[in-house]
Amino acid sequence: MILVEAASRSQRAYDAQLIFAAQLAARGHHVAIDAAGLPADLDRGRTYEAAPFLVDPEDLAVTALILLGADEIEDRVLAALRDRALGPEVPVLATGRFADHQAYLGARGKIAYALGREPRVIDLGESQPRPLIARAITPLVAARAPRPRPLGRVPMLTVALGGSALDAPGALARLAQMAGRATFGFQLIANAGQKDLIKASRYHDLPVVTFTELSPVTLAAGTDVFAVYGQGVPGERMAALATCLMAAGGVVIDCTEDRAFLSQGAPVLRGPEDPAALEPYLTDAVFVNLAQIGAQMAASPWVAAADIARLETAAGLAPPPAAPMLAPAAPTRPRRTLFLPTNGVGLGHAQRCTVIADALPEGETAAFAAFPSCVPMIQRRGYDCLPLVQKSEAHPEPYANDVLTYLRLGRTLAPGDRLVFDGGYVFDSIFRTVLERDLPAVWIRRGLWPQGSSSDIALDRERIFARVIVPTEAFPELNDAYGVGPRIHPVGPVLRMGQRADADRAGLRERLADRFARPFDRLVISMLGGGVASDRTAQLQAIAGMLAPRPDVLHLVVVWPGANVPSGLYAWPNTRVVQTFEALSLCLAADLVISAAGYNSVHEILYHRIPAVLIPQSAPYLDDQTRRAQALAERGLAEMIEEADLMRLDRVLADCLDGGAAERFRTALAAVDLPAPGAGQAARLIAETGGDA
Amino acid sequence: MAAAFDATGARGPRLAYVIDPRFAGGTSAAVAAELRVAAGMGRVTVHARRSAMFGADHQVAPALREVLDELGLPLVWDAPEIAAELVILHNPAFLKFQPEFGGRILARHLVVVAHENFLRPGGVEGFDVGACLARIDRASLALRKSIAPVSAHNRATVETWLAANPAALRWDVLDSDWFNICDMAPVPPTDAPRDRRGRHSRPGFEKFPALADLDRCFPPHAEANVILGADMLIAAQVVRPHWTMLPFRSVEVEAYFGMIDFLVYFTAPTWRESFGRVIAEALAAGKVVLTDPDTGAAFGPGVLACTPAEVDAAIARLVADPAAYRAQAARGQAVLAGFSTGEFATRLAALIAGVARGRAA
Repeated sequence: MILVEAASRSQRAYDAQLIFAAQLAARGHHVAIDAAGLPADLDRGRTYEAAPFLVDPEDLAVTALILLGADEIEDRVLAALRDRALGPEVPVLATGRFADHQAYLGARGKIAYALGREPRVIDLGESQPRPLIARAITPLVAARAPRPRPLGRVPMLTVALGGSALDAPGALARLAQMAGRATFGFQLIANAGQKDLIKASRYHDLPVVTFTELSPVTLAAGTDVFAVYGQGVPGERMAALATCLMAAGGVVIDCTEDRAFLSQGAPVLRGPEDPAALEPYLTDAVFVNLAQIGAQMAASPWVAAADIARLETAAGLAPPPAAPMLAPAAPTRPRRTLFLPTNGVGLGHAQRCTVIADALPEGETAAFAAFPSCVPMIQRRGYDCLPLVQKSEAHPEPYANDVLTYLRLGRTLAPGDRLVFDGGYVFDSIFRTVLERDLPAVWIRRGLWPQGSSSDIALDRERIFARVIVPTEAFPELNDAYGVGPRIHPVGPVLRMGQRADADRAGLRERLADRFARPFDRLVISMLGGGVASDRTAQLQAIAGMLAPRPDVLHLVVVWPGANVPSGLYAWPNTRVVQTFEALSLCLAADLVISAAGYNSVHEILYHRIPAVLIPQSAPYLDDQTRRAQALAERGLAEMIEEADLMRLDRVLADCLDGGAAERFRTALAAVDLPAPGAGQAARLIAETGGDA
Repeated sequence: MAAAFDATGARGPRLAYVIDPRFAGGTSAAVAAELRVAAGMGRVTVHARRSAMFGADHQVAPALREVLDELGLPLVWDAPEIAAELVILHNPAFLKFQPEFGGRILARHLVVVAHENFLRPGGVEGFDVGACLARIDRASLALRKSIAPVSAHNRATVETWLAANPAALRWDVLDSDWFNICDMAPVPPTDAPRDRRGRHSRPGFEKFPALADLDRCFPPHAEANVILGADMLIAAQVVRPHWTMLPFRSVEVEAYFGMIDFLVYFTAPTWRESFGRVIAEALAAGKVVLTDPDTGAAFGPGVLACTPAEVDAAIARLVADPAAYRAQAARGQAVLAGFSTGEFATRLAALIAGVARGRAA
């Protein structure tokens, strides 16, 4: 592995390591960064960026070492270099921008003393006499591989905002206007403060990332035109983005006040300083000549001088393989669709994904990556499942588990695979993986979110998905429209369909009576959910208590295997706890189901015409269960009880078991007109996404 | 120019020393020792230059300060003009971080004492020699300009560098080495040598070989392994229970020599001592010195030239044979005689005589 080191310890130096490591990895090299040098205060974006390259010191098998920024070399770095005791067969290349020959000799000598042999030292100032950043630690080189432009159906514009870009009145409105154009794609790069400002504004769905949220290599790979505002070149990351883009035949437009790119001789276009003038300039002068301008940029001597191949040769690196990957490529195998459901409150996302996976056309291969609570269910349904790590308060960072998800996805996905994500919040791991690997991705996204910032973020990230499949609710008033556009595809409700044969039902009831040694006339199922969302102990205890005086009733509390069960439930005479993935079978055999109002349970109740009492959960980060339950209750299809209204629950249960409520529900359910289930349509949309579409 | 050299011969020629007096190591010690000699041969002026290498303060190395006080010599800081029959500039590397010398030098003979090797092992420049010499050249007007190597190895690097840089041909090389005066009082070697090993140096990376070689030089079975100047090893948290690691200058050198019988001195293979004052001090202290052939070249048979892998056997042999140990120590102290004040005075006198001849002519 190629170890990328920096000659000093600073955020700027670590950025240089990250950028260059990503560039080498994109060229197909196996790259490492010593995990011992991970800064303690690394921000979130850089943590993800570093993760694929981090290797513990004892696991490093260095075949080449590249030391960046050798013009400012620190003793502690020299000490670390000395400790590595690299063999003479390991090439060592140091890069720097040396003020004079003495600086070069001094740095070279220091490294030679620590190393015990001579390094190869490259003075970047010789090949880049006018770099975009005068003392950049990042080599500011790039792979010269022009790509056809535009990359997609329309050109992708990336705009880096200057520090005062949003101060002008109407600035955001103008940006939003550009973002709304169908003739080009659009994304912003802004500082953290600007991003917060955007997210807090009415323009919160503007696609924006911070300067450190994604690698410049990733940003360049998804950009056709890069327009830069502000004063000066905005840091090494943006300089690296511009260099990568130019070498790949993209277009850089210098809109800086001081013409920072042009003044360094870079082959960029001079753009308008006023953002209001950018769009007509792009439309009239750039987009129409995109391929020609890009080709000229890529062929310029300035870009030739920044060819990464020179450093590769100097470092003695073998020619890179043809297929670039961020991490070691997965073994060659047929393309597959990887479903990644979040686990949310229960297993609803995972269950929905298995229903859709079951409906995939012949020849499509599905696999899963899921959190531990979902893995047994998924495997039981016949799918391979990569286990992910659950979020935990024991982790040093709240996103630590997601960094692992990011790594595991990177090692699992092969070029051409599809990723199908089912969840409300698009994790950073998903966001980065899709962008970095240019994966065809599908988002299965349901609505009914309470208003809040997390939904804003989720929608902002919608743009990374080729398709958004929205499993609708059965009733129109529940189908909030969170977005429209060609990528959004509503489908009918996605739910698991069971067979309801009377003989099966009777047989199951007999087996239950035998299993629990308790003959019964009426079967009541409670499945109130719970999980991380809310504690349903009080409700379950109340129901068990209300049913206890009824010897003809068998009350089954149904939970997922592994769920926490309140110990008090075991004390009731006719209440039993069943841990199963086959709740639907039990519900089909029940006389009454008391259920939370999650999407899956409600639709299974509806489509299987099961009399039910719904007790919606109301945790703030869940979908709006109360609205869903109300929709059924208002149509006389079920009863709804508020979580705390246990007094009423007693009456409702009595009405269902002793009165005619259950029968009323059954009659109404039999008559209700429901939309066709959407699993098949969702599966077809997924199968059409990607290269073979 | 004429006025500058109008001194009368009766009071001796004018000798000007040019140095950045803030060098902490061998350069200042060497200049201090030779000032005592030079002061008896002419009218000595000591010019201090504040080079960019050490910043703007006026500190003076203690060894140099002591001699200046003793001899009553003023230290002239940053004079715009330095004029003397013989101008001796010590260690041109002090100019490596600045664009110009920053003054004028008028001399019949300008001697630049190299001190540092022009080339490192393998032939890479030790510093920007061409730039430093050019700065001196541009600032000086002299009938003759010479480079004075401090040892045979140093001479080899100077001559090799000059051969590869024709633009510097105006510089000649003095025939005799401008060695460091080693007038330390000799201490008799022990009659009962033990396997007590040590090394001392400044704590720079260049002064230490690879850790594997240090392990070979200082093994667990040695009675003592004392490393003075081990700051780098301490900082790197190198753990060797059988090593006594002492920070630089944490004990007096005399006390340190009392702890060892053998100096085992190897450096990074990419660096060489230009003279090896650390070796001279150990020889004067009656110790047997083991070092690599290149580093030990200046001391000839006075040191045992070997590799780290050969150290153990050599020490075992001398511990088992105290007479051989004493003989080796004696050879070392005999070599030091060649670096005496008297020998240096002879060479300096010859140089001054040459300048005088030039003036007469």
